Amino acid sequence: MTTISEHGDSPHPRAGQPVPRQMGDWAVEVHGLTKRFGARAAVDNVDLLVPRGSAFGYLGPNGAGKTTLIRVLLGLTRADSGTMSLLGIPVPAQRGRALARVGAIVDEPRFHGHLTGRQNLKILAAARGGGAGKQIGPALDRARLTQRADDKVSAYSLGMRQRLGLAACLLADPQLLILDEPMNGLDPAGMHEMRDMLRSLTDEGRTIVLSSHLLDEVERTCDQVAIVDHGKVIRQGPIGELTAGAGVAVEVQCSDPPAAARALGQPAIASRITVTEDGLTVTLTPGPAHEQIADINRRLVGAGISVYGLRQTHASLEDWFLSVTSRFGGEQ
Amino acid sequence: MTQHSLAIGGRGSWVPPWPLISAKFLELRKRRVLMTVAVAFTVALPVIFYGIRLIYHLGDPARYAPAGAPDAFATAGTVMDEFGFIIAIALGATAGTADLTDGMFRHLVVTGRSRLALYLARIPAGLSILLSLAAAGFTVACLVTAFLGSPEPASAVTVSLGDMIRSGLWLELDLVIGFTAGLGLGSLMGQRTVPVILLIVLEIIITPILADHALPHFINGERLDVGVAMDQLKPAALAGGTTIGPAGGPRALHLPPMPTWAMITVIVGWIIGWSAIGAWKMATRDA
Repeated sequence: MTTISEHGDSPHPRAGQPVPRQMGDWAVEVHGLTKRFGARAAVDNVDLLVPRGSAFGYLGPNGAGKTTLIRVLLGLTRADSGTMSLLGIPVPAQRGRALARVGAIVDEPRFHGHLTGRQNLKILAAARGGGAGKQIGPALDRARLTQRADDKVSAYSLGMRQRLGLAACLLADPQLLILDEPMNGLDPAGMHEMRDMLRSLTDEGRTIVLSSHLLDEVERTCDQVAIVDHGKVIRQGPIGELTAGAGVAVEVQCSDPPAAARALGQPAIASRITVTEDGLTVTLTPGPAHEQIADINRRLVGAGISVYGLRQTHASLEDWFLSVTSRFGGEQ
Repeated sequence: MTQHSLAIGGRGSWVPPWPLISAKFLELRKRRVLMTVAVAFTVALPVIFYGIRLIYHLGDPARYAPAGAPDAFATAGTVMDEFGFIIAIALGATAGTADLTDGMFRHLVVTGRSRLALYLARIPAGLSILLSLAAAGFTVACLVTAFLGSPEPASAVTVSLGDMIRSGLWLELDLVIGFTAGLGLGSLMGQRTVPVILLIVLEIIITPILADHALPHFINGERLDVGVAMDQLKPAALAGGTTIGPAGGPRALHLPPMPTWAMITVIVGWIIGWSAIGAWKMATRDA
């Protein structure tokens, strides 16, 4: 049984703003969920709690089971065991009711290429029923696709299809958005726009579950994360608290970063060293930080490397992620 | 968050709502290549056929019969049936697989709409295109037969209004079978090409062989081929007037006639059977 972090009950405030949420009321609640493909468990006895109103990152290496969990949640494939609910409504028993206020992008968003963006949305609005048809215009506006809404989707870039996917999600006026790699294919400006859009959606009280391998984007967008590896959720909680436990990093500005990395690596002085354009990022091992920073300085100067600056920071989500996922040796 | 509430009533119902049928109709109608071929096979074909007959007749009336002669009606009907069946299969297979191959299936399932309703919406959407085009083409045949036929119908073989109605209904029924078979097999296999090839082989090669040859100890098996049943149900006007019974066409000469109830059972079985297989696959498929 996967252990759920106690932090799940206290959402991390994003940018100083408290997130409105009813206690004990989860947007996504999963217990003991297992999905097997033959002998391999793609999702292995997973427990997951996503607080309402949060931006929740779902992280894991490729093949870790992220998309499979999302597909099971949305009824795209069946679970072998376990219980789930979306917005407090059990699925798959009341799937239609639960999905009425859920929008989702799973994998790369694809549409009928011979139809325009607007026509594709009309089809999806017809399937949703109710007032979804009236949401087409506002959804296109919000996804910044109004200008190209009457072009055929076959002429869209991947980024535009991502935005059309988001517009399709908004047809439901969703309380919960489940987005699988929504930043894929976006240029830096597009990622910035998408990030702003996701933030504005959570500011409206909607819950976002964001599955991504772009750790930096998750760190900028989400309050909480769960790390999945080999089908299991291995950590869950507010980003700030999780990364605080990952230790301290030091940004080193120096004359010869590759040589500096070699000097610090023999013998190893840190848990991880990343070479950057103008220096190094050194993640310290647990223990007194000041002594280690001084040791770094001594060793670099001793190796004839000019040190221009040393700045202490918290370890990033990426540092923490790499330290806990088995693929990178964190659990070995 | 906006306060409007999206209605969720009926989303679990298996009955497809009109907007969903209309949306599927739009999706199919916008397939330019498929629609061009469909118009060519159903409407352009009889127009060209009768146009050529008309030109020949006008060039040498003594040698060439009027464009609307009864034999031309039978030939046009047969050609429309063969080509119409092919386009019916293609349209059905496209309707059954387009959402899957274009990547829309996931989006549709995530709406929470009943998968059965999503599937059933394809039937009226596709048939409304197919049957209306076939009706237009068949109307051309009827008009030419009625107004450009022999001025002196001395022959006993004529095409009455009743013959035209029966022939039209038979033709449309054959297309319904082709469409539902294409839809069901396409949905089952999740792709378009193989089902189209398989059903065309059945229609063009296997059915004529079965209809023309009574295989010892396998006659009842042969009768399970819907083409054999439809062949025996073929109206006399489409069979060139050489009938052997109330419904039998020329091919039936080689196969003992089927009772009417057996023909109907086989035909209805094919329509419902393929529809059910496609619906089952749609309901259980991983998206």
